[in-house]
Amino acid sequence: MNSSTSSRVLVSTWGGWRPDCTRLQIARSMTSVPSRTPPSRRSRPQSVPAAPSRMTISTLARGGWQREQMASFRKMERVIVSMQDPDMGMKMRNQRLLITVIPHAMTGHDIVVWLIRKYTIYEEEALHLGNMLVRYGYIYPLKEPRALLLKADESPYRFQTPYFWISTRWPASELDYAIYLAKKNIRKQGELMEYEKESYSQLHKRINHTWDFVVMQAREQLRASKQRRKADRIVLECQEQAYWLVNRPPPGAHNVLDMGPEKGNAANSRVTLIENSKRALCRNRVKSSICLEGFVKHSEQYNTQDPIMHGCLPSNPWMSDDPAHWIMNAEKVSIPTRLRVERWSFSFMELLNDSMGRKEFMTYLEKEFSAENLCFWQACEDIRHGETSKIVPKVEDIYRQFLAPGAARWVNIDSKTMDKTLEGIKHPHRFVMDDAQMHIYFLMKKDSYPRYLKSELYKCMLAKAIVPQETKKSVFPFMRRQRHSSPSPAQAVAPATEQDCQGGANSSAVSQDAIIIIIIIIIIIIIIIIIIIIIIIISIIIITTTTAFHATFL
Amino acid sequence: MGKDECKTMLDALNKVTACYRHLVIALGSTSDSQNLREELRKTRRKAQELATANRTRLTALLKDKTVPREDRVEYERLWVLFSSNMDLLEVDMKRSLEIGEDFPLRVPTRHLIATGMTGSTTAVAARAMSVQNMKYEADGDVDTADLRELRGEIGQVSRMMEEMEMKVQVAPWAVEAKQEPGAELRSAAADSVGNSSVGVISICEEEPKEDDEGARRREAGSGSLCAVLVFAVVLLVAGVLGYLVVSMS
Repeated sequence: MNSSTSSRVLVSTWGGWRPDCTRLQIARSMTSVPSRTPPSRRSRPQSVPAAPSRMTISTLARGGWQREQMASFRKMERVIVSMQDPDMGMKMRNQRLLITVIPHAMTGHDIVVWLIRKYTIYEEEALHLGNMLVRYGYIYPLKEPRALLLKADESPYRFQTPYFWISTRWPASELDYAIYLAKKNIRKQGELMEYEKESYSQLHKRINHTWDFVVMQAREQLRASKQRRKADRIVLECQEQAYWLVNRPPPGAHNVLDMGPEKGNAANSRVTLIENSKRALCRNRVKSSICLEGFVKHSEQYNTQDPIMHGCLPSNPWMSDDPAHWIMNAEKVSIPTRLRVERWSFSFMELLNDSMGRKEFMTYLEKEFSAENLCFWQACEDIRHGETSKIVPKVEDIYRQFLAPGAARWVNIDSKTMDKTLEGIKHPHRFVMDDAQMHIYFLMKKDSYPRYLKSELYKCMLAKAIVPQETKKSVFPFMRRQRHSSPSPAQAVAPATEQDCQGGANSSAVSQDAIIIIIIIIIIIIIIIIIIIIIIIISIIIITTTTAFHATFL
Repeated sequence: MGKDECKTMLDALNKVTACYRHLVIALGSTSDSQNLREELRKTRRKAQELATANRTRLTALLKDKTVPREDRVEYERLWVLFSSNMDLLEVDMKRSLEIGEDFPLRVPTRHLIATGMTGSTTAVAARAMSVQNMKYEADGDVDTADLRELRGEIGQVSRMMEEMEMKVQVAPWAVEAKQEPGAELRSAAADSVGNSSVGVISICEEEPKEDDEGARRREAGSGSLCAVLVFAVVLLVAGVLGYLVVSMS
């Protein structure tokens, strides 16, 4: 029947789909396609448009530029134009505002039904097509103009005028946007949205030289639009707003014109793919069981150190606005935290990376009379990470201090490395001391480091280290700003992955609690009022009966 | 004086550019017609006349080495405004060619887009031409004839702008605007009567409800305040009645 041919027609109109795609596959892939990648992206970037009328502008075609999605824009425009057919096109309704009636509105449902009928597709696909038409600005919604999506119900839509189509070869410029913002400013007496206000001030700085022109033009355009009827004026405003919502989307909204970081041409990407695959074949591989074991061990060891997984004492500064955690863990602090000291026992690199740890280790080595190792290592690090211009004097310094025979702080390096280093010193560069440094590093790691961990100095430090107290959660329910601490590590029984969800839920639950408590109090007050009113009524009755009583007796 | 004359000419050009843009927006939509094409052509011609007049005047003033410093700064500013104006005009002309070719009027299979604009643009064109009423005297095929001329005119405008750049060396970044941000709001008070009618009826605008939580919190707070007030009032009334009961008995 016609359905198969027309489905294939549709497949080819939305270019980039493989021609052997069945309808079901299209529907399935349509639903799985994330909203960020419209199928038009896969069409090859064309420089020659399809419509023959444009071929005639030969000299003028050089002005302006073509977007990469131009081919799919042409197809969308063909759909739009076929919708305009008075016999087979869309059913138009009238939009009724307070007094004005504006024609040429259509409901989302009508659009979907028309697409289904015209291209004989399923509803899913029609919805997707309609969504694309709305997102690229060919149709704009009238009820909620900022939500650029197609709702297949009674919500009204209207077509965008060809001037504001996105396929124009002269896209929206900064000057145009500035004029639009200035017009909006005048119309709304300064009530712009936040991102618009920001853009406004940015543009004022950027195109400051033509700012007078912007103001003049904005005023004139408003005066020109006043010459038209009210209905047309409203349509113009809606059109312009829709145009700028597509071309300058508010922050956080999806930008349909953004092609994403992986732009590259088709030709290049295939070559790089082959290169990458070749390189990947020659890589060393580790058995996953081994590396996973290592990873699990690392995670277990560092679990207590991680503030997200294990909670942050005294309290998470981002949540409770209390910087105590940062103050206690600063670089130079007189008494370190216990976690920090424990971290030094994980590996030698941890100890050396922490400046406080390095100092402690240095004091220990001085006691053992092997401090020159650490000094040598530090000096070599300094060369490796320091300024290029100072490398030569630094190397000479090191040679004099550490390596020369009879030097004051002579380090114990084996003869082979020593020869190599002395050779290298004749032509010094940044990495000339690397071998010697590595040797000394391993020496310290195998020898001094385990002894340090068993030494009195380290144990003292561990005992002295403080464990900060967790701040109490304030129980006073009327406080608007709750001080939340992250979940306490002492009570963490649930697996680590649920903890950050709970943390998030906690804070929202607490603020919601406050509102619920306030509502409960209001209800209680109302009940008390009702009781008091009843009491008042009873007392009035009593008064009247007592006065009646008195009256009968007097 | 030279400055005022330039300013008025620039204002006129500005007005015509704005009207031209307004007319081009209506191209291809249901308010398109032969009249619109003719209006476009007339407005375009007028714009070009004004542009050439402006250009000759400004180039003459800027080439003159004897002008004092402040005047020169002012002329440079006007020059920058003029060139931005011409940029807009050129883009609009190219766009009108693009759309005009896409939507020929007399081809019955090519339908115009139903945008909801059905009124005529006569008043806008009259404003551009500074006349009371527009007279339409062109014949029926103005759209196709117009397009041929349009191509030629676009070429003319581009050439003129290139000449402009060559002849006069004005650094646009050295020009400072006289208006600060928000300047348009101040004199908008004069047009505020007209503006308000436009502003009130823009019902298609719906500002989303931002800061929802803050609003909720505020509502809860005000609700509790009202309840406390009512409670106090009722307590007072109860106290008074109780006192009366006591004084009665």
